[in-house]
Amino acid sequence: MLINTVLMFLRELLPLCLLLATLLVWHRSVWRSFALYFAFPSLLMLSLISLQMVWISEQLDGLGLELLYSFLYLSCFVLLCLSALKAQWALLSSAFAAACLFSISGSNLLLYIWLPGQAENTPADLVLGSALGVGIGASIAVLWYYLLTELKQWRIQSFALLLSLSGARQVMMTSALLIQSDWLVAGPQLWQTEQLLSEQSELGFFLQALMGYEATPSLSQVLLYVLCFTVLFWCCSLMEKKR
Amino acid sequence: MRSLRRYLVTVLIALFTLISFVAALQSYKQRAIRAEALFDQDLQVLASSLSQQYQAGSQQELGLALQVWQKGELVYRSALAPETSMSEAEGFSEHNFAGKRWRVFRQTPTDLLTVIVAQPLKQRQQLADEVITASIYPVVLSLPLQALLIWLVVSKALSPIKRFSAQLSSKKANDLSPVELDQVPAELDQMLKTTNQLFARLADAFEREKRFASDVAHELRTPLSVLQVNLHNASQQWQHSGISDPEGSMLALQAGVERMSALIEQIMLLNRTNPEHFQARTEQLDLAGLCRQVVADWYPHIDKKQQQIELLGLEHLSLKGDAFALRLLVSNLVGNASKYSAVGGSIQLELSTNQQQAMLVVQDNGPGIAPEEYSRVFDRFYRVGGDRHQSGTIGSGLGLAIVRDIVVLHQGRISLGASDFSSGLKVTVELPL
Repeated sequence: MLINTVLMFLRELLPLCLLLATLLVWHRSVWRSFALYFAFPSLLMLSLISLQMVWISEQLDGLGLELLYSFLYLSCFVLLCLSALKAQWALLSSAFAAACLFSISGSNLLLYIWLPGQAENTPADLVLGSALGVGIGASIAVLWYYLLTELKQWRIQSFALLLSLSGARQVMMTSALLIQSDWLVAGPQLWQTEQLLSEQSELGFFLQALMGYEATPSLSQVLLYVLCFTVLFWCCSLMEKKR
Repeated sequence: MRSLRRYLVTVLIALFTLISFVAALQSYKQRAIRAEALFDQDLQVLASSLSQQYQAGSQQELGLALQVWQKGELVYRSALAPETSMSEAEGFSEHNFAGKRWRVFRQTPTDLLTVIVAQPLKQRQQLADEVITASIYPVVLSLPLQALLIWLVVSKALSPIKRFSAQLSSKKANDLSPVELDQVPAELDQMLKTTNQLFARLADAFEREKRFASDVAHELRTPLSVLQVNLHNASQQWQHSGISDPEGSMLALQAGVERMSALIEQIMLLNRTNPEHFQARTEQLDLAGLCRQVVADWYPHIDKKQQQIELLGLEHLSLKGDAFALRLLVSNLVGNASKYSAVGGSIQLELSTNQQQAMLVVQDNGPGIAPEEYSRVFDRFYRVGGDRHQSGTIGSGLGLAIVRDIVVLHQGRISLGASDFSSGLKVTVELPL
């Protein structure tokens, strides 16, 4: 169905678009180098994962793909911390962090497009759905980029906060995959905000992409989220102080 | 440096894409919901029609009318269907019965069996309307949002031009400092640079002009003073030696030097009072007292010409102004009145206030100026009748130009008119209090 294709593309592309827009505001003066550093590892990782997807998914008792994705999400967070801590590595490591997210999103989308079960999606559904998904994702990224540029001009230090939220979101995704693979104990559910703000609503969807919003988070997820957010925020604050 | 064009194009395309796509998705969702309801309704109608066939006498209201004819006999009809055939034409057609307009479909699969199904047109239109309205609704709702966002984006993009324009319009006449702008877009950058270069060139030109006139006047002052002293000495020597000057060459030479000296003084004063250069030191002062001082200064000259001068009106008139410039203004007006009035003439100064204005009126009973000359006498070096002014009075043609500059400097007004005497000129100066 058309709507499923749109939602699939948005779910995969929106977090990547938001992270890329945030990083481009940071590296605006060297955006060409950033694009180069981002493009090469992205395409390399995407090709490797896509070509070896069957083999990867069969590893570790059939949990290979989930664990690889967890590793890539975690790598994304670690690379973001590194880019904030080491000024000389900032460009390279932040481009690699975005590349990690791209390889996950890209391989998931390729899997969705080439999956044998796609028979229920007509080619028109697929083309139109992907165009709508890419269009909405790219538009939000452009507007996000200009919003952050504007905030920067008004001397509002939003960058550290937004990058920390984005980094913590990747850890949230890691924890969700690890819990799903029984590699992490979920612990008790802390709260239930499905009625207040559904993950399926437009705002819930956006917040999920931006900061990993979860309507029913478990204890371990919340602890990890708070810890990672604090660490990355501290790293970003250190970076801004050095400036 | 950001390009306005790139910013507007990317942001507007992003906005249009986002809003249109979200509206399209909402429209898709709404239509899917309506279509689902429509299909459910069809299922309900079909189920009801079939159940009715087995429940004799049931008159349940259905959306559809149904007739089954076999060998020309009506073997089944639903509650809404009439006893006569709903349509004689094969396929789709429209007919009236049971007080409604119906869309009818007739099918004859075999020669013996005919099935006729009808649906009220109103119901069909209602369903079609619901589906169409559901798809249009998100698009229409998104329009005000689009308009608001376009307004915000365009206002934001054009704000540097607005700030540039505001800075230019708030500039004073003598402010030639460069315009400073933050976040200058690429399209405005060259305009800003060119404007600032123009200001810099203008400032240089004014400075050169100011220095040139002032320097020339200053440099001429010393040799002229020497010339005046030597002329005076030569004249004395001629008198002692008994040399006669029947053609009056010495007197003409003295008058020429005196005129040149007055001209140089006036040029220097003009430079000092030019609004483009002059930095007024405004202070609270008494215009009446200032007029009295000027009259006292000019009194020997006035007395020599046996003229009458009187100061009428307010004894104190307090206003904010530059004392030096205003004294020069009154002095030039009184001087002109005295110079151009005949021996035994009358001069009148009158001070009054009019709402927020102080008014000084200086009039005489001299020959006056023709009304068509009023606008020209404020031009620099312009003298009524040219150098051969009929009064024979030495003048530079700068006195009234200086007066006008001083009035402009004080944001006042000056006007000329016929004197209240039988002849002469009346000068009215209005200055803000």
